[in-house]
Amino acid sequence: MIDPASGPLLFDASAESWLARSREPAVHDWLARYLRHHQVNVSVVTIVQRIRGYALLWQRAAEDRRAAVEAARVAYLQQLGRVRGLDAGTAVVAGELMALLPHPPTPPRRAHQLVESREERLARWRFDLLIAATALVTRMRLIHNNAEDFEAIRGAIERSPQRFPGMGPLELVRCTLVV
Amino acid sequence: MKRNEHRSKDTKRRTTLTLPARDLLHAERIARSRKVNLSTVVAEALAEGLRVQAATERSEEVLNSYRQAFGGFSDRDVMLLDGIVLDPPERRR
Repeated sequence: MIDPASGPLLFDASAESWLARSREPAVHDWLARYLRHHQVNVSVVTIVQRIRGYALLWQRAAEDRRAAVEAARVAYLQQLGRVRGLDAGTAVVAGELMALLPHPPTPPRRAHQLVESREERLARWRFDLLIAATALVTRMRLIHNNAEDFEAIRGAIERSPQRFPGMGPLELVRCTLVV
Repeated sequence: MKRNEHRSKDTKRRTTLTLPARDLLHAERIARSRKVNLSTVVAEALAEGLRVQAATERSEEVLNSYRQAFGGFSDRDVMLLDGIVLDPPERRR
């Protein structure tokens, strides 16, 4: 159980959507209590991912569904919370992470005869590195639903502390374990 | 302009309130123990209550936006919104 008042969290895209879609009353209650104390903090990179996702969904949607996709996109943009940008410090940490971890820890995703291309997987991995760097620099715990990627990043930082002086550890919160 | 804003923030107004007797007694006890007047205790309690109310309303607004932003989509759609782009193999380059 994570105390919702215990401090602001940086929300990865995977956590934000999981928490928003959960049908568990306890999860809903946890999120409501979190929001009474803190804003949702997101990396600007998460917004890039999200808006690209809405745009792709809109492109692929039938004409009669596009208005709903657009309404969802507008609703998302209306409650962005606090957006954490990429500054010089974040860029330095992200560059170190990209050198330490050039390859994603897991293969491209597959589901129902659909596949993620290797290029897409690498892009997603680099987005995750930028988000982890943002969490480190802003000294916020990162809430996520993507343990494969973020645990790999946390481990690399722990193994190479000399590359991240005065930083870390990367503190992770898995959203499925908040209650 | 700034001076006026500052002045209006600090302005106090006298009013008459009807409060539950039990709460009033409680507030009077606090005022005595802190050696401040009753108005100070009631004003602080009111400010805190309003802060909690505003936070609750803000929380509900965010939750409503979240429902609109992520509700009504399939799991595959949400993967796309989370940055995971899946395609049939033939669409791959």
